[in-house]
Amino acid sequence: MTSITLILLALLCLIDRHLRRACLAFIVFALVMSYTWWQLSVPWLAVVEALLGALLTGTALLHALGRAGDVPRLPQRDATKQRVGEAPARWFAALAWLSLAGLALVGLLRSGRLPLEGDADPTLMPAGLLVMALGLWAFSHHRHLLRRLLAFNVLGSGVFLLLAGLAGPGPQVQGLILVGLAVALVGSVLGVMLLRRLYALEGSVTLEPEGDP
Amino acid sequence: MMSAANLLLWLALVAPLLLGLLAWWRPPRHMRGVALAGGVLPLATLWLLPRAGEGALHGSLSLAGLSLHWRLDALSALLLLLTQLVLLASAAYAVGHRRAALPPEATHARFWPLLGGLVLALGLIWVAADLLLLYAGLELMGLCAVGMMLLPGKAEAIRAGLRYLLYALVGSLAWLLGVTLLLGAWGTLELAGLAAVVEPDVTTRIAMALLTGGLLLKAAIFPLHGWLVPVHSSAWTPVSAMHGALVVKASFFILITLWRLLLPEAETAAGALGLLGGSAVLWGGLKAWRADSLKQVVAWSTVGQLGYLMLLFPLLAGTAASVATLAWQATWLQLAGHALAKAAMFMAAGNLMLSTGASRLSGLAGTSRRLPLSLMTFGIAAVTLMGLPPSAGFTAKWLLMQASLQSGQWLWVVVLVLGTLLTAAYVFRVLRCSFVEEAPRHDFQTLPRGMDLVPLLLALAAVGLGLVAEWPLSLLRQGGVP
Repeated sequence: MTSITLILLALLCLIDRHLRRACLAFIVFALVMSYTWWQLSVPWLAVVEALLGALLTGTALLHALGRAGDVPRLPQRDATKQRVGEAPARWFAALAWLSLAGLALVGLLRSGRLPLEGDADPTLMPAGLLVMALGLWAFSHHRHLLRRLLAFNVLGSGVFLLLAGLAGPGPQVQGLILVGLAVALVGSVLGVMLLRRLYALEGSVTLEPEGDP
Repeated sequence: MMSAANLLLWLALVAPLLLGLLAWWRPPRHMRGVALAGGVLPLATLWLLPRAGEGALHGSLSLAGLSLHWRLDALSALLLLLTQLVLLASAAYAVGHRRAALPPEATHARFWPLLGGLVLALGLIWVAADLLLLYAGLELMGLCAVGMMLLPGKAEAIRAGLRYLLYALVGSLAWLLGVTLLLGAWGTLELAGLAAVVEPDVTTRIAMALLTGGLLLKAAIFPLHGWLVPVHSSAWTPVSAMHGALVVKASFFILITLWRLLLPEAETAAGALGLLGGSAVLWGGLKAWRADSLKQVVAWSTVGQLGYLMLLFPLLAGTAASVATLAWQATWLQLAGHALAKAAMFMAAGNLMLSTGASRLSGLAGTSRRLPLSLMTFGIAAVTLMGLPPSAGFTAKWLLMQASLQSGQWLWVVVLVLGTLLTAAYVFRVLRCSFVEEAPRHDFQTLPRGMDLVPLLLALAAVGLGLVAEWPLSLLRQGGVP
């Protein structure tokens, strides 16, 4: 049940052009992630996820949009246009990533060597794979930098889910997720600060300079 | 109970961050202070070096049921020493840079803790014997590097920084996924433990492909080098020096460590990595030759020179022990020589650009008479990059050439020769521009003396390393090829 909720929330967060709604969807997504850790009986990781993932990263992302009355304030909707056949290298990388991950999982399951622990949730792995796919799609497809940051965060959560599903919630997994959460937070904060500066200096919200096709 | 040597090692690892925080609060005003405070670090490492060679330094840190493994062998001790020397040079140069380029005080102060964090991260990477510790080091390094790139605050710096940030973040997720697969399949993160149980099956290969992808991106190896040149074009000189000299190489270090431990016999993949390296040498050289601005020449030259390191993969996998030993020594010598020379070259280029106020090559006209010292430093650094005797670059390329010939891999000989010719081409293009005399006169800014002295010392060290190469190489031989 939580897995399906996670996938739906990731989808909501990544397809919405209304940026504030997308950020809010991400915060709810991170809270459900936190609940997942709670269910796996790693309460301290649940607290860390709620704090770093939902509260701090969520606030940072919302901060990018600014408050009413800020000058200049980022447009609240993503108005960048996507073109078909854009950035083939990025698409290629995303597809390679996904198929490699899928192949490796199939290989692992076939080998029957998985040291799965008793309380590991069997739906975590497919959910992780799907969330990762959504993140990869959004990261390659979107040009708006805030949406790419959202995609990066969702992609990271997908990897965490896969990690917990594959190796169970042992101390090593918790260590990896903890570092990953801290990196995602610092990365998002840096990205948001840069995005605001870039918009203030040039009025641009994408990596490509204005007027550049 | 920690032994004295272990304690000293961890002090030497953490000290840069503490010093960086101190300098944030009170930025140093004189190079002397920096040299005194930082000069202790290489001394500590020199004391540790013989002990590291005996394999006495290893252990684990326990945190809440989680143990992080580390070890200091001869190679990691030498790399630590190199890091501390380049750190000292960058820090001393940064003091001069503050006086000459006059960046805003608050922004300049932020440089110091980031530099400290970066050096701590590099140290962690050199000593880590565990995928989790490597992950933490890699991420700390990446984030500090992004932070340093952004200090200038111009629009193009921000754009370059954002691109670098996105690449680095996605690269680190690819790495994390690879680690996930390894942990899922083999149940451990400790490198020695993994090496003992791992089998070269599909999952291991895919995990390595993901890890390699993430690391190649962070190491800016062709064709994933797109972020490197814009990043350097807008960064401060001491930051570029540190980044070009060491940061990209840390990813290479992790890459080679993992391949040797997990898939030492994968010849096809090693050949492919070698081909990437060969293409990097040629493409980086060509682009450096065609570049307009001085910093772009130096940055593209980094892309090219990194390619030489990648030749280690095909020369190690499935070759005779003598070939592997030659290639192993050559690569680390090339890495050290290039680190010293590239830091010197970035600083010399930064001096030329600061003095003339121009960044394009055509703006160098007249510098041969007015700024002979900076130009000479650039030239001496170039001696190492071109691989002329007696520099470290020469010895390294000579050993690489011998290894390629002995193993019958002729292609790399061609790459080495073409790479040297291309390097000569772009270096002489810079020198030619600086000997033009009929250009209108500029006002040349005079720089603090130390800013000329630091890169000159680095460039001379790179040449001198070729003369005393036997010392680090004998330490490396003791450790053997893993």
